[in-house]
Amino acid sequence: MVDVAMVGAGQTKFGNHPMGLKGMWSEAVEKAFSSVDNDCSPNMVEEAFIGSIAFGGSQLGNTAALLTEHSGMDGVSVRRVENACASSGFALRDAWMTIKSGQADIVVAGGIEKMNDLSAERKRYWLGVSGDTEWERLAGLTFPGTYALTARRYFHEFESTHDDLVHVSVKNHMHGFDNEMAHLRKDVSFEKARSGAMVADPLTLYDCCPTSDGASAVILVADHLAHQFTDTPIWVKGSGAGSDKLALHDRPSLTQLRATQLASQKAYSLANLQPNQIDLAEVHDCFTIAEVLATEDLGFAGRGEGGIFARNGQGRRNEGDVTVNASGGLKSKGHPLGATGTGQAVEVFKQLRHQVEPTRQVRDAEVGLTHNVGGSGATCAVHIFGRER
Amino acid sequence: MTIAKYSLENGVFATSLYGDEWAGPDGDRLTIALLLLQSETPSTIQIESFVESLEYTPSAPVSSIIESTTDWKVVPDGEFHLISSNSSLIVGISKNDNLSQWPEVSSENSFDEDQKKAIDEAWKKEVSGVSQGAYVSQSQHMLAMPSRLGLLAQEDASVILWPPRQLNNEGERIPPVSNKLDNNASILTWTKLSALGAPSEFSLRAPLLGGVSTVLVEFSSGPKGVFMLADDENGVPEINQKVSFEVRRLYGQDNLIHYGLKALLN
Repeated sequence: MVDVAMVGAGQTKFGNHPMGLKGMWSEAVEKAFSSVDNDCSPNMVEEAFIGSIAFGGSQLGNTAALLTEHSGMDGVSVRRVENACASSGFALRDAWMTIKSGQADIVVAGGIEKMNDLSAERKRYWLGVSGDTEWERLAGLTFPGTYALTARRYFHEFESTHDDLVHVSVKNHMHGFDNEMAHLRKDVSFEKARSGAMVADPLTLYDCCPTSDGASAVILVADHLAHQFTDTPIWVKGSGAGSDKLALHDRPSLTQLRATQLASQKAYSLANLQPNQIDLAEVHDCFTIAEVLATEDLGFAGRGEGGIFARNGQGRRNEGDVTVNASGGLKSKGHPLGATGTGQAVEVFKQLRHQVEPTRQVRDAEVGLTHNVGGSGATCAVHIFGRER
Repeated sequence: MTIAKYSLENGVFATSLYGDEWAGPDGDRLTIALLLLQSETPSTIQIESFVESLEYTPSAPVSSIIESTTDWKVVPDGEFHLISSNSSLIVGISKNDNLSQWPEVSSENSFDEDQKKAIDEAWKKEVSGVSQGAYVSQSQHMLAMPSRLGLLAQEDASVILWPPRQLNNEGERIPPVSNKLDNNASILTWTKLSALGAPSEFSLRAPLLGGVSTVLVEFSSGPKGVFMLADDENGVPEINQKVSFEVRRLYGQDNLIHYGLKALLN
């Protein structure tokens, strides 16, 4: 079966963006195509998958057609992919499957979200409607609430405290400080992160990612074309996806994400790799507790040891076996929902090609993983990339 | 909330523990009526005049709410009348719907008049304003009412399921709800959302109440569920603590009030 390579990747800066949807998307696409070493242009694209929740309801229908129209992909077969915060992780998987199946040779996957031009109330409405609206939301829950429920239960079940989450926050802010694409570029001390304003007890402001605007795009090609575009393609070695019950109360465990476990098992199996062979992982730390769970569900830490992993600084850049969220993660780099998944792929693409800012480079990075979760864990896409085919 | 009950010759009456001027931050005549009905031997009841006394229109017919929450049957020629004073928050069950005598009531709990006014005003604004709240279709609300208000659960291969589900993993349709869960459950975890973290439908009331508390509980028969906490001003939840449930106002949307069960710390 055909192998798939990533030959280009680009994104806007994540944050409070002055541009609208068309401007942000065209910038991400422009950067993705200009990152391809040899001649490659948008009119060569055969299929495009764009992840977005269409936050705020702006251009809810036919978003993808509008975006490709304004990015040189006029006439391309395109669609919006929606799986909440995992939208572009799934767009990436759809693009990968399209090439694997032989239906197309050059495919764009990307994502976009505009979150910061809404009133606070409308923003909270849109942040809540990817959860279980019928039961969880009517019990007063938004995502900070569901992750807070998880965090408190995690502390109860294992030897962990909120301080472990503070370590995650401090690390990701440290990683994101030098990332020019990051939303929150500020070093945060342990004491400051520990004393943040309470959002959803026990989670404070420093446990929560920001709401960001942004767009990201990657270019995938079939193996026979990879070296036409670059001498250093990044190979998609594995892709896996899974789902779980939408509502937390319907899941057997409150402290594990089954969707992550299913997705990562498939991705590792396909890549024929083990967790200890991953050099860097961009994991979905929408809330700090989510990173603790991810390190366990992805196999970097044992069950109940994610807090210890964070406490010991094992995910810090170039300090442990795996660097977790070298970009700063959602916590620092930002979380423009639909753009996050392919934004993670952009970071891994640059890290594996040793093209990030020198202070951020993960040493000897050969294999990277992306982990993109929808909502409180109803959906998850995991991808594994490598310099070697 | 629970209620204060009064028995007279012409019937049995109830108010909230705040007396006859306020039913608390999320109570009203209907929530008092449901507790009163639950505390009495079920029979048949007429509700026409009671429905007219309600301040806001419920999102489901009052008869359906009563029959989902209690074992009373609402019929036009019922044995009893559900009644309420128009001038105060006293609710009664009587054989006569035109009472001349109402009980003298006292209040067990005091309340801050300014807070009451602020909360009443917030409800008014929330119900009549353009909602930014989550949309759950009216049909979905109606279909789920026996589960939402009456804790009725399904049973599939000896496993109790709540909230209700559709097909099982074999693709077979799960039988309709038939088992009533206990009115008690145990807290597995909890959170308190600050006013900033609360969903938009609670944005007017959350600041007045100091946030919104939610518990994820497990029933003794197995199912888990999430509920907002009520009357928790003086208590902090703990894991493994027991809770019981009462019907309260959840939120207002499109000129309707939605009701649901809330948890009370035992």
